Formats: sequence, C-alpha cells, structure tokens
Amino acid sequence: MGAVTDDEVIRKRLLIDGDGAGDDRRINLLVKSFIKWCNSGSQEEGYTQYQRMLSTLSQCEFSMGKTLLVYDMNLREMENYEKIYKEIECSIAGAHEKIAECKKQILQAKRIRKNRQEYDALAKVIQHHPDRHETLKELEALGKELEHLSHIKESVEDKLELRRKQFHVLLSTIHELQQTLENDEKLSEVEEAQEASMETDPKP
Amino acid sequence: MERAVPLAVPLGQAEVFQALQRLHMTIFSQSVSPCGKFLAAGNNYGQIAVFSLSAALSSEAKEESKKPVVTFQAHDGPVYSMVSTDRHLLSAGDGEVKAWLWVEMLKKGCKELWCHQPPYRTSLEVPEINALLLIPKENSLLLAGGDCQLHVMDLETGTFTRALRGHTDYIHCLALRERSPEVLSGGEDGAVRLWDLRNSKEVQTIEVYKHEECSRPHNGRWIGCLATDSDWMVCGGGPALTLWHLRSSTPTTIFPMRAPQKHVTFYQDLILSAGQGCCVNQWQLSGELKAQVPGSSPGLLSLSLNQQPTAPECKVLTAAGNSCRVDVFTNLGYRAFSLSF
Repeated sequence: MGAVTDDEVIRKRLLIDGDGAGDDRRINLLVKSFIKWCNSGSQEEGYTQYQRMLSTLSQCEFSMGKTLLVYDMNLREMENYEKIYKEIECSIAGAHEKIAECKKQILQAKRIRKNRQEYDALAKVIQHHPDRHETLKELEALGKELEHLSHIKESVEDKLELRRKQFHVLLSTIHELQQTLENDEKLSEVEEAQEASMETDPKP
Repeated sequence: MERAVPLAVPLGQAEVFQALQRLHMTIFSQSVSPCGKFLAAGNNYGQIAVFSLSAALSSEAKEESKKPVVTFQAHDGPVYSMVSTDRHLLSAGDGEVKAWLWVEMLKKGCKELWCHQPPYRTSLEVPEINALLLIPKENSLLLAGGDCQLHVMDLETGTFTRALRGHTDYIHCLALRERSPEVLSGGEDGAVRLWDLRNSKEVQTIEVYKHEECSRPHNGRWIGCLATDSDWMVCGGGPALTLWHLRSSTPTTIFPMRAPQKHVTFYQDLILSAGQGCCVNQWQLSGELKAQVPGSSPGLLSLSLNQQPTAPECKVLTAAGNSCRVDVFTNLGYRAFSLSF
C-alpha cells in the first residue's frame, strides 16, 4: 500500500513539476529564506531579504495565475471540441441520408439505362428492315403499274372483240351475197329452160 | 531467425478420402435461406452444406466461418437443383424431390419433411430433375429434367397435377415470366418453349439453333441457361448467349462469349453470366462486356444473388461450380473470399 501511494505521489509531483520548472523549488527556497530572515539580525540584510522574499512570492503568485488561466482555457477548449464533435455528428448523419438518396438515384438511373438499352436493341433490329415509307411508295408505284397494264389489257380485248364482230359481219355479208348469186343463177337457169320449152311448143 | 517448417503429418485413411472427395467435388446448385443469412449448396455426392453468410461476412470472421455450419447427406445421387420457399428448402436429384425445414436444418440429424417422385411413364425410368421453379401465385412447384416433361406439383397437397409435354429431349432450365404467367423451358433439343400455365398449352417455340446469327453448330444446339425479364429473354449454351425480344421472337443482341454459358440472370441493368471459363461475366444489354471477374473454380455452374430484404448486409453474389468452393462477391467488381465444403 505504501508503494502505491508513493508511486502516485511521485507521479503527481512529476506532473505538476512539468510546468514552471522549479515552482516547488521556489516555494521551498521561500520557506527557507523566511526562516533565515526571521533568524537574521541586521536591518539592511533583513530588508533586502524581505524584498527578495516578496519578489519570490509575487513570482509564485504570477505562475499560479498563469496556471489558472491555462485551466480556464482548457475548459473552454473542451467546450469548443464538444461543439465541433456534435456538428460533425450531424454532418455524418446528413451524409448518410445523402448516400441513401444517391443510392436510390443510382437505382433509378440504372433502370433508365436498362430501358434505353432495350430500346436501342429493338431499334437495331428494326433498322435492318427497310423503311415503311419507301415500301409504301414502292407498293403504290407497283399498284399504278398494275392498273395501267390492266387498262391496256381491257382496251386490247375490246379491240379484239370489235374486229371479231366486224369479221363476222363481213363473212355473213359475203355468205349472203354468195347465196343471192346462187339464187340468181338458179333463177336464170330455170328461165332458160322455160324459154327452150316454149320454142319447141308453137311448131304444130 | 529460422522460418517454421510445417511438419509433414502422415494422413489417415479418412483424411485422404476426404481430400480426394473435395478434389473431385462439383457443386451443382445453391439456394439462399428465407432470412437471407444462410446459403445452402448441393454437390454431386448428394450432400447439402449450409454456410452462415452473416458469420462469414462479419468483421470478426475467422477461417472456421468459411466452413459449413452443418453438412448432411440429402440424396443418394447428385443434388442438381435447389429452391427455397419461405420456410422450406426443396432439393431435387435423381428422380425425387425432397423438402427440408430451414430451422431444422441447422441442427444435426435433420430429417426430410417429405419426398415425392413425379409420375414417370415407366417405373424403370429414374430421370434426373435438372430444374425446379416455384410459382408463388399458384403455390406450386415445377420440375423438369430427363424425361422431357414439365411436371407441376401442388405444394400443399404434394400431388402432381399436370405434365406439359413438348420437348423432344431432356430439359435443362426453367424460368418464370411473371407478367403473363408463362413458364419458359430450355432443353437439349435446342428449343425454348413457352407454356401457358392456365391452359397447359405450349404458346410459343423459339428454335434458337435455326437462327444464323446465334447458332454455333460446333457446340451443339443445347440450351443450358435461361433467364427472363417479362419482355426479354436471354438464353445460352451451345448457341451463343443471345438476348431475345419475346413478343417478336427476334434475337436482338448477341454477346460475344465463346465459352458456353451455364447460368445467366438479370440484375439491375446488367446481365450476369457464368459458364465454362472461371469468370463471372457482366454484360450490358447493348452487348458490351462490362467486367469479367475471375472466380476460384475452373468452371462455374450456378450463380445466386442474395436479395432477401431481411438481410441487407448479406447482399452478395455467390458462384459455385467444378470445385468444392463457393465464391462470394460482395461487390460485383472482385471476389471477396470463398466458402469451402
């Protein structure tokens, strides 16, 4: 137990003595000089010693004042650090929220990119097929040609019909003429026969 | 100062066996727990290991946190596919699907809740179940695999209600198209078929290998992986990894990746894919490769994104494949660490 307290005492004394390099020594010297001054006899020596003691005392008071100010400063620094710490915590929380927000945005952006790529893939396939307008135009042109050709066909057919009818008329007229000519021949043959028989009759 | 030389300890039989097992292990499937803090991985020996993601990601993680919390023998054959509901883990292997309770799994000696076998055409067939898909609206489970059919199982009663037939070869992967409730299935026959669940009919068929831009005949026509985003679908495997617009059935973007991809998924505005190379590839929808992050396995078979809202601190991408390790990516840019069986 004695060793522990000794250690503590030594530690504390070392700690305290770290500041001011010899404050403790100064107080010891003051006490010694006080005792000497009490025991000294002459007036002048006593006065000078008294002055010296006063100066030592004021030095000690000065260093104590300094230590108190440092202590105050430390307290205020601690407060300042607490404040900064709280601010940093707030900004960390804010950053977390922003990260979550950004993650959502990333997902959204990925969905959009996926949709765009799907669109691109389909568009590529569609591009391979020819343009609809051109195909429609070609279809129209082909349709018109078809109509034109069918018109021509109709007119040719009509002409064919007409010619056929005309030939028919021509042939039937020729036929009739032939018939009439044959009839005429027959009639004239019959007349000649009659005339011949009339000539042989009036002789008796 | 002398460096410490590690002592050569003679290994016992069991340790040699374990080391050999780990050398030849393939992890086929992964699934995240409903709370988001655990990851289950199934391997080719039929074992399921549960890792604690929250322990491995925490700041005081040690080497033991990267080992499984519990490992148990789930199936006799490989565990090809796993999926989690809000209380159960469903695992499927050779011909059967089993259910386990997540809360029970963390204790030793866990027993399966139920085990069902889809009705096969002959009793001699034991086809493997390659893919499981949960349909939350109907509370049913879709199984697809070696018998070229999609079986629909009701989760409450455990009965198999329908079988969708149409594929001519075994089915590799399934995907759910949420807006119009349709299921996409891709298989070895090279066709991606869309099925309408309400009337159990095949709505659309996309024969990927017939399109010149994406077919790679030297790799085959098999479709190894499928992912869908309602209007868009990405599929890969033998043919090149391609982005399709479903309504017009046209391939819009072809991703220039030579190695066949075994797992693909949409994530935010990217497409993540993994396959024969050791890297996880990140693509933009325009076809550009945004990043290629190497993992620790020589080939990757499955990717899993932990997006459970209850555990935002465990939001990681895990990749597993032809090794006993599961790579964990906390940030898509680099591999943070690996969990190991």
